[in-house]
Amino acid sequence: MSDAMNIFDRRLLRKRRDRAAANLPAHDFLFREVADRLADRLLDVTRKFPMALDLGCHGGEIGQILEGRGGIETLVQCDLSEAMLRRAAGNGRGPVVAADEEFLPFADGSFDLVISNLSLHWVNDLPGTLAQIRRILKPDGLFLASFLGGDTLIELRRAFMDAELAEEGGAGQRVAPFADTRDAGALLQRAGLALPVVDSETITVTYADPMKLMADLRGMGETNAAAGQRKAFTRRSTLLRMMANYQQAEAGPDGRLPATFQIITMTGWAPHESQQKPLMPGSARARLSDALGSREETIRPKKDD
Amino acid sequence: MSQRSAGPDPKLLEILVCPLTKEPLRFDAERQELISEKAGLAYPIRDGIPIMLVDEARPLDPDSQPMIG
Repeated sequence: MSDAMNIFDRRLLRKRRDRAAANLPAHDFLFREVADRLADRLLDVTRKFPMALDLGCHGGEIGQILEGRGGIETLVQCDLSEAMLRRAAGNGRGPVVAADEEFLPFADGSFDLVISNLSLHWVNDLPGTLAQIRRILKPDGLFLASFLGGDTLIELRRAFMDAELAEEGGAGQRVAPFADTRDAGALLQRAGLALPVVDSETITVTYADPMKLMADLRGMGETNAAAGQRKAFTRRSTLLRMMANYQQAEAGPDGRLPATFQIITMTGWAPHESQQKPLMPGSARARLSDALGSREETIRPKKDD
Repeated sequence: MSQRSAGPDPKLLEILVCPLTKEPLRFDAERQELISEKAGLAYPIRDGIPIMLVDEARPLDPDSQPMIG
């Protein structure tokens, strides 16, 4: 697997998270908000999940909410970043392990639940990761994950692109590429997860200025970790132009600037015979024509068939 | 936290496998390492936290590079 094939630089992501861990609580509002929403969804499922995995746990936001709830007896927290894990370990009681979502170190059928909060958008090979998730789930185990979708930071993306075109005569990719809802549904199915559900919601955060937004992104370890970025640092003139563009194009009546985060949530179950599935053809017990009150006729085959 | 410095969580050790080969691991309590014979790698355990990252693993045979990807 050559690095040229990869969209994201996982080592860079790890470094970003390591660096962000120390001051995470000042910037982790998005992690906490989405963790809350994920927990609500999980607690709606009337079932117990004794053995659970938090995949990409950051500072342990999921663990703090779910500790001792949802029938969870053991919550294993894992993350790419050791510094994040130490933070998570301090917050919870369960075991922690450093792991890469692309190379999961867990045996088949280990978990009743795999939950993931805002981490999978950095995975290069999402189909591969989903297949591994299915493998480590017990039969009828639940996979529940939120990640950032393609409309995320659309304002910043636009402002940067216009600024780079104006100042540098070309635009690189400033904001990481994200998957969309349709992709996610197809991927769940491809991974063999049953009863797949995907939905999308938008969280809009407003900022006094774009630098505050950038500071939050850095503080979460969420700045662009796309491989082969155009430049290591940004020219001052480009940055100033970006800020002016953002202000001009997006400022609301109160002068504050919106930043959109699209949260895609996917649910799937490891296959089990108890799950609902389509009936076998020919197994119907009532006639459709009776239900519709119409007459049933045989379709005559065409002569030349 | 005292439990952590004593070693990795036994419940966790039960389910950990090599991230590359998915084979079971051998726990070396003395060196605090998880050994994957097939991959030829030893994954370190730091303060009771298993570091299951290929980048961080020690090659068992220093002459041969592990197969990464």
